[in-house]
Amino acid sequence: MKQANFGSLLTRRDFMARSALLGAGTLLTSSWAFGETQTKPIAAASSNDIQIAIVGVGAQGRILMDALLQIPNIRVRAVCDIWDYARKYAVNKLKQAGMEATGYIDIEEMLQKEKLDAVVIATPDFWHAPHTNLCLKAGLHVYCEKMMSNTVEGARSMVRTMRETGKLLQIGHQRRSNPRYMHSLFNLIQKGNLLGKMTCASAQWNRAVAEDVGFPKAYEIPAATLSRFGFKDMHQFRNWRWFRDLSGGPISDLGAHQIDIFNWYFGVRPKSLMASGGTDYYQGREHYDNVMVVYEYPLAHGTARAFYQVQTTTSSGGGYFELFNGDQGSLQISENPRLTKVYRETTAPSWEPLVEKHYLAKSAYVAPSAEKVDSRESKPPEGFEIPVVLNKKLHQPHLENFFDVVRGKGQLTCAADHAFESEASIFPVNAAVEARKVIDLTPEMFAV
Amino acid sequence: MKIIIQSLSAIYQSPSILSFWLLRLWLGFRALLTGIEKFSGYKIVQEPLLDETGNPDITGAIVEVKYKFYALANYHGLPEALSANFKKEPLLHPFLLNAYATVLGPLLLLTGGCLLLGLFTRLSLYVMGLLYISLTFGLIMINQNDGIAALAVHVGLCAYALHLSVHNKLEIVR
Repeated sequence: MKQANFGSLLTRRDFMARSALLGAGTLLTSSWAFGETQTKPIAAASSNDIQIAIVGVGAQGRILMDALLQIPNIRVRAVCDIWDYARKYAVNKLKQAGMEATGYIDIEEMLQKEKLDAVVIATPDFWHAPHTNLCLKAGLHVYCEKMMSNTVEGARSMVRTMRETGKLLQIGHQRRSNPRYMHSLFNLIQKGNLLGKMTCASAQWNRAVAEDVGFPKAYEIPAATLSRFGFKDMHQFRNWRWFRDLSGGPISDLGAHQIDIFNWYFGVRPKSLMASGGTDYYQGREHYDNVMVVYEYPLAHGTARAFYQVQTTTSSGGGYFELFNGDQGSLQISENPRLTKVYRETTAPSWEPLVEKHYLAKSAYVAPSAEKVDSRESKPPEGFEIPVVLNKKLHQPHLENFFDVVRGKGQLTCAADHAFESEASIFPVNAAVEARKVIDLTPEMFAV
Repeated sequence: MKIIIQSLSAIYQSPSILSFWLLRLWLGFRALLTGIEKFSGYKIVQEPLLDETGNPDITGAIVEVKYKFYALANYHGLPEALSANFKKEPLLHPFLLNAYATVLGPLLLLTGGCLLLGLFTRLSLYVMGLLYISLTFGLIMINQNDGIAALAVHVGLCAYALHLSVHNKLEIVR
């Protein structure tokens, strides 16, 4: 796997030097924290601690914070968010966990005042590139949520800055560190050739109707602050995912995770895409509320097509999963283990040896009756389970991978250049819907 | 030595003795093992996935592996699905059903064990036959004809074994 330059990874000496500075730094900075003074001694810091900040503590930031709190030797020193409501929640939550974090509105002020090793960025998409580039240039390693940016140029700039600074940039496609996804790809598909020749794939995220999110009136952000940070009003701040200048819409919010799995599992870039979609249900939302897209992947044995759909008006149809079909078997995988299943075609060799090695487990799945309704029906495939479990928060392994590499151990599972390879094929989807034509994905589109 | 050879030869010459032993073995093991299985259960253990060399897999995956084990705490007199069907039957009172489920396993163990050891052979066979008849009664209620037919064969074997028991030559208490 290609990797960013890790020449400037933190050494133990760096940690110790920074820890020494930290003592003074903490005293100096705690009084800046919007009246949040240090009331509780900080839990004993270790020279092995990584000092971090969380930038953006909205819904996704909270999920990452919850996962971070499970990882030993991570000290959250600061949180940055323009919304008092979110920022205070985060500071209080960290205090409960024994960490005195200082709250900031302005990221530049935070970088100036805090001595940090890394940041975790979970701001709205249109802020990802500016925030990431700023932090990388400030000498910090960065974990940034996906999509990398709301524009392909923004994403490209992040890869360039990563390469220029030699700092780490992990993108939050967390499935890439999920042991069930890794096991399925490395052991079942690559090593075990369980699916045979992969001929097609499909994936979906079907979500029920959800109204716009609101906010407590008492916590409304002043108009000047909203404007300074690129928001028209509070409604747009809370519902930024539906605005074209701020995000890529459902195809990037939800689809990016799963289309990334197409690219990762097929191991090649798609060569073209065609798409259809529309704002057919919700009034006043700028982004398409449903999108269907078909990619073509040039595999060694021929073209494999991958269909993806995101629906925001129904939760039926199986929820969210990715399904890969081959001539020997099929793999349906999801972050939800209950939606994961493997099917063996009746003509494929026995999978019993894999069951004995615990690569697979027998399924309670009962194939539909062997009695055919239509003479053209195939025999039903045999169902198996993947017995791999994840006893951690969903995002924890991906964050752990990032911090392991910060400590000099292993490689990033989703460095920005790899993420860009994937995301470069997602950015053109909305344009394809609009143009109503096939878009060829040329090598230039993937170039940084 | 000569006496032993003569005895074995006599047994070999007697189809009735051999027939009884075959039935005794089959019925004994059938009841004993069915009784033992009523104490079986499964536990799910999480352990690291191992690669071909026996080392933890590079993915760091933890797998759930199902192991069968036996314990008194696992005891289930009647299979869950069967029990649920019985509970819907008005002629099968829940109290009687629970009492029956409680004694069924121990009775199978006892009759199977006794039959194999040659303890109270005829009584064991008779009680075993009654047990299979009682099970038939339940299956009639829930209309499981395949099970009824299988139990009829069991009862028939018990009856035939009783008939042949006069030819038994290896028993501690008749």
